Parts: sequence; C-alpha cells; structure tokens
Amino acid sequence: MAASWKQLFFQILLLFICCGRINTETTGSTPAPLVPTTPLSTDVKSVVLTGESHTENIELLNPVNLSLECTWTGNPIKLPNITGFWRKDGNEIQNSHLTVQLENNQYNIKQVFSIVSEKDLGNYSCVFGNEVKVDFILAAPQITEVRDKPIVSYVGDFVVIECKMDKTKPMPSTWNWYRDNGTEKVQIMAAAEPGRYEIKNNEWETKLRVHNLTEADRGLYYCGAVYAIGTTMGQVKLKVITFLEPLKPFVTIVGEVIILVAAILLYERSQSKQTDRAAFPGRVENADENSTQTQSEDKGNEDSSSMRQRKI
Amino acid sequence: MTNLKAKSESRDDDDDDDDEAEGPDGGWGWVLVVALFISTSLVFGLMRSLGIFFVEFVQYFQESAQAISWISSTGLAAQQFFSPLGAALCNAFNARVVVMMGGFLAGLGLILASQATCLVHLYLTMGVISGLGWGLVFTPMVATVMANFTRRRTLALGLGFSSIGLSSFAFNPLFQLLVEMYAWRGALLILGGLSLNIVPCGALIRPQQRVKPPAQVDSESKSSSCGDVLRRVSSYLELSLLFERPYITYTLAVTLFNVGYFVPYFHLVAHSRQAGFSEYQAAFVMSAAGAADILGRVVSGWFSGLGHFRLIHLLSLWTGLAGLFIMLLPVSSLSGSYTALMAISLLYGFCSGALTSLVFAVVPMIVGVERMMGGLGLLQLIESGAGLLGTPLSGLLKDITGSYLASFMVAGSFVILGTLTMTTLPHYFSCTDPPHPQRRSLHDKDKGLHPELEQMNHKTAE
Repeated sequence: MAASWKQLFFQILLLFICCGRINTETTGSTPAPLVPTTPLSTDVKSVVLTGESHTENIELLNPVNLSLECTWTGNPIKLPNITGFWRKDGNEIQNSHLTVQLENNQYNIKQVFSIVSEKDLGNYSCVFGNEVKVDFILAAPQITEVRDKPIVSYVGDFVVIECKMDKTKPMPSTWNWYRDNGTEKVQIMAAAEPGRYEIKNNEWETKLRVHNLTEADRGLYYCGAVYAIGTTMGQVKLKVITFLEPLKPFVTIVGEVIILVAAILLYERSQSKQTDRAAFPGRVENADENSTQTQSEDKGNEDSSSMRQRKI
Repeated sequence: MTNLKAKSESRDDDDDDDDEAEGPDGGWGWVLVVALFISTSLVFGLMRSLGIFFVEFVQYFQESAQAISWISSTGLAAQQFFSPLGAALCNAFNARVVVMMGGFLAGLGLILASQATCLVHLYLTMGVISGLGWGLVFTPMVATVMANFTRRRTLALGLGFSSIGLSSFAFNPLFQLLVEMYAWRGALLILGGLSLNIVPCGALIRPQQRVKPPAQVDSESKSSSCGDVLRRVSSYLELSLLFERPYITYTLAVTLFNVGYFVPYFHLVAHSRQAGFSEYQAAFVMSAAGAADILGRVVSGWFSGLGHFRLIHLLSLWTGLAGLFIMLLPVSSLSGSYTALMAISLLYGFCSGALTSLVFAVVPMIVGVERMMGGLGLLQLIESGAGLLGTPLSGLLKDITGSYLASFMVAGSFVILGTLTMTTLPHYFSCTDPPHPQRRSLHDKDKGLHPELEQMNHKTAE
C-alpha cells in the first residue's frame, strides 16, 4: 500500500517538474540542479600581457564555462612560432601544448575550462615559451572580515565568533560552521546541541555562539560562505582560559598598592614622630586655633610648616 | 609684640599679593605633582583609552554602537557630576581620605565591571561607580596641588596634566595587549587593579595640607537643626559662588570652551579621511596634535609661571588662538595640502594643551584660595553640560550638511565666544591682578573665617 502511494507521488512529482520546465522561463537564480540539464553559461576573461607576468583575480559564484585568453605582445625577438601551454596550480595540464603563430605582432592563446565545482577552482596559468605567463586565480568570493587574532574567552562563559562578507561582494547562499577536530573539519550542527551552539545567519554575516565553554572547546573554527561553485572558509582560533590567568597580575598589582600605601603612611608617621620630639612644647601644628602663636604663620594656604618655626 | 607689629606692617605693604609672595612653592608640592600626574593619567588617560573595549563589547553584548558608547559618556558625566561632592567632602573632612576613597571606588567599579553579564551592569559599574570614584579624585587632587604652589602653580598643573596625553599614547597599546591576552573581562580586572594605584597617590597628601580651615564649622552652633545643616552643606559646596558675577562669568566662558574644544579630537580623523588623506596620514595627524598638546601644557605652564603676563590674558590668548585654529582646520584640509593640515593641527594641539594648564589656575584668582576647592567642583559640574552638548551637536551638523566644515566652524565660534565672555570679567583690562578676593569679607556670619586677619586689621587701624 505505502509503496504504491510512493510510486504515485513520484510520478506526479515528475510530471510537475517536466511541465514546470516547459512552461516557465528560467530567469533569475535557479537552485543548483541535481542533474545539470541546463547548459552552463559562458564567460570570457582576456588579458593582454605587456611585462613579464601578470596576475588576474577572478571571482566566481556559479558553475560556468570560462574561456581564458592570453595575448602577448612578445619580446624584441619576434619568433614566428612559439610553444604555449596551460598550467593548473603549478602542474602542467595534459595535452595543452600548442604552437602559437605570430599574428598582428601578437601571440594568442585561448582555452575554455569547465568550472563546475570547488576542485576546478585554483590557479590557471597560460605560459608562453617558458618564461612569460599570466596567472588567473579562480576563486569564490573571499570572506573579508574575520578575526585574525585568537579570540579569548573564559570557562563557563560564552563567546561570539563572527564572520562578515563585504556587501560589495555577492551574497552567499548560506553560511556553515566547522570545527577542526584534529584530522578534518566537522560541521557544527546547531540543531543537534541547542544549548551549546547557536548560529545566526544574516545574509552578509554569520555569528556562532558557543555557550558553557570548557577547555575542550579551544581550537580552530571555520566559517564557510556557501556559493554554488563552492565554499570559502575563514579561520578563527578560540582560546579558553580560566579566571586564574588574569588574577595573577591583578593580585600582584594589589599587593604593590598595599605595600606603597603602607610605606607612605609609615614614613609619614616616623617623620611626624621626629618633628613632634623636636617641636616646641606649646606649639600647635594645625592652624585651626586662634592662638597668637599661629597668627604669624597662618595664611590661606596650609603647608607642612614643620620647617618654618617662627619664634615669637 | 614688636615683632608681630612689624610683621603686620610689612604685610600691609604688599597688600595686593601677600598670599602670592609668601605662599608655599615647592618642596612636598613636587611630590604632589607626581601624585597628580599618576592619578590624572589613571582617570582621564584611562577614560580616553576605553575605546579599545568598544569593539569587544559590541561583539559580546550584541548591542548597537550607540548603546556601548553610553558607557564612557556615563563615566565622564558621573566624574563631572560628582566633582562638587568631592569638593564638599574635602571641605568637610580630609582631602587625603576623599582621594583614597575615590581611588578605591574607581578600582572597584572596574573590578565589578569584569563580572558584568549585561550592558546595564556596565553602566552601573564602569559608569556610575568608577565615575563617582574619578570625581572624588580629580578635583581634590587639583585643588591640593594648587594650594601647594603659588608662583609655580601653572607649571605644576601643566606637568600634572601632561600625563593625559602621555598616558593615552601608552595606554592604547597596553590595553590592546591586555584585551588580546585576557579578553575584556581579564583586562578590566587588571585595569581595576591599576586604578587602585590612585590610593597611594592620595596617601601622599599630608593631613595638615587642608585648603580650607574648618574653623568656621566649629564656631557655628552645634545644633543639628535643618537650617544649620543646610548652611554647612552649602558652605562645603560653596553654593554662594553661584551668586557671584565673576565666578558665573568665568564658568560660562569655560562651558563655552568645552562645547567646542573637544570636537577636533573626535572628528579630525574622519574629516581627514573625507578630505582624501589615507588612514595612516589621518592617524598621524592625530598623534602629532596629541604630542603638540603635551608640549603646549608644559610650555604654557612654565611660561605663565614667569609672571610676565596676567594669567587671564594668557588664557584669552590661547583660547582665542585655539578657536581660530579650529575654524581654520577644515579650510586647510579642503585646500588639499597635507602640510597645511598638519601645521594647523599642530598649532591647534599646542593651543588646546596650553589652555588646559591655565583654566584651573585662574579659579583661585577669581574666588580665592579658600574657596578654590568648591569652586573647582562646581565648575566641573557646570561644564559637564557643555560636553554633553558639544559632540552630539557637531555630529548632528555633520549629518545635516554632509561635511565637517559646519561643525568645525561652530565649534571654533563657541570657543571664541567663550574668550569674549571672559573679557567681561571685572578688572580684565588692567595690567596687574586685582586685589585678592580673600580680602573682602564675604559672609557676615563667618567671623571665624579669618580671625588673625581681622585682628591684624584692627591692630593696624590703631
């Protein structure tokens, strides 16, 4: 019974999908299809090389057929034919050697690459002869704002780790968080441990909150901005310390304060004892009294008048 | 007896400045300058460097920037609001105890803040408690130092206040390091410990060094009727000063200074960036202005101590120039020349530092050394309103007009307006200082205030 309902359901579903494809135009962003039935769009990037080498950064969001063109004006010795080839991430691509003719005083190499997933991203270089090259660095948009210094927090406290993408760059479809457990990155599922982890995604930024920190929580955390082409990672290091750490310098400083205060008060007491012994019998130090003796040394200001002893 | 009469005659000869000629000037005073240096750096230097915690608080508490900036505003406002309280307590009790209490409270506030779990905790601890502590420290320390100097008063103040600039230089990287090592909680805890260093500074104040003799308290009736208590409180707070025209004029002038004086420090960097200079260039201009500020404090303190000019004239000079340079700042940067901007900023920094050494030193000339403590407290309280008004106003002008030109112009004009207000002080245009206000008998009831002076007057009248 259940099986036949399932079959019916799937058939209806397929029907809708097919009808949907015929009737609607594919405008706007479509979610990544399970089977790529729509052809990839084509993009062309060309660079004219004037010097020895050049680097071009290309930001990709979606799978694309990318045509890379290199044009070289050549060196003073203009050979009619030179060899050119392509490299990916430093390794020569098989069967990419070409013989390039000198046309209009220029050498031209062109190649179409199918960039579908993350492994297709990287550093593509077209090389003329053996020295001159142009680097095309294909990457998904890099995360702009992530903390480069370690985040410090305390045992039992919580911590908020943030990653932000520049608003001028394309918006990631979603954000993921990963933890490094020594060998690989494990995705943090906030739903699995609601008391511990909390992820708030806000289009261009993401915040991971870790509650009830323990020393085991320290290590590397990764925020990943997910695009159709792949995920770019940002790395944050978390350090968890106990409250004893700042307590040590604090106690040292408080100790120093107490010692200073005691020293000052003791010094003053010994000073006043000396002056008391040397003072006149009827002499008053505080100029509060209306005595004739203090008339001569009283002013608006008081000062340590132990030095100035006016004799009457 | 003959000696006494001879002394009284000689005192009549230098009627105008007898306090100045025979006042203390150095000795233990220099130790107090060191104490003022340390305590001012731990109060204002610390307050200025709290910006480091800003980013941490925003991230931890997930609050808006404005809510977080209220923390330092509350601290500053509390420091200024509780200044008269500090002055009154010094008049009632001992300056030493008040400053030590203040240092303890300042440290306690920061220590408690390290345990905060919500923003309100920070307002109460870092804002109110620490602000109360700072208020109990600053005014008494300044008044005590001024009481211990006469001719070198401005130099002592200049040296003491130079700590604000120097400590901002030192504290910024230090706080950054503390936050990186211990997070904001640990850093606040350690800062609380550092603030406790104000307590030994207060301990350096010798108990005899009382600015205002409490004789008048003893001579009044000991009954605790409402009227008597109120009268005593008002005499501690020096509320009678609020009815005197010179004091009110001066306070108004200082309030006007405060509206405009801080604006460049807040907006200079943003304005330089807007004028097209790079981040490093803008930051360097700020640092250079800060260095000129420190230099200005010390130089002006030393120069005015030489006695060639009246303090009030020098103060008008520095404030007028400062106002002028504030107005010239946007003009110079709009011209696009970096050297012009740097030159005007240096001049502004120098003048603004120069005027801070003198602002407080003029108070005893207007109210007399006796009432200086209360006068300073009330001044701080009244000028706090200006601080609350000044920066939001300049921010508002910037939001409305889109550039900083209007806010700088308005700020500079407020400062110049303050200078003009000062010219209405009595005896402003005379070349020598007027007779010291202490000579006038201010209260009929305060017979016990100057017993020896009264007797002296009677003696010379014979």
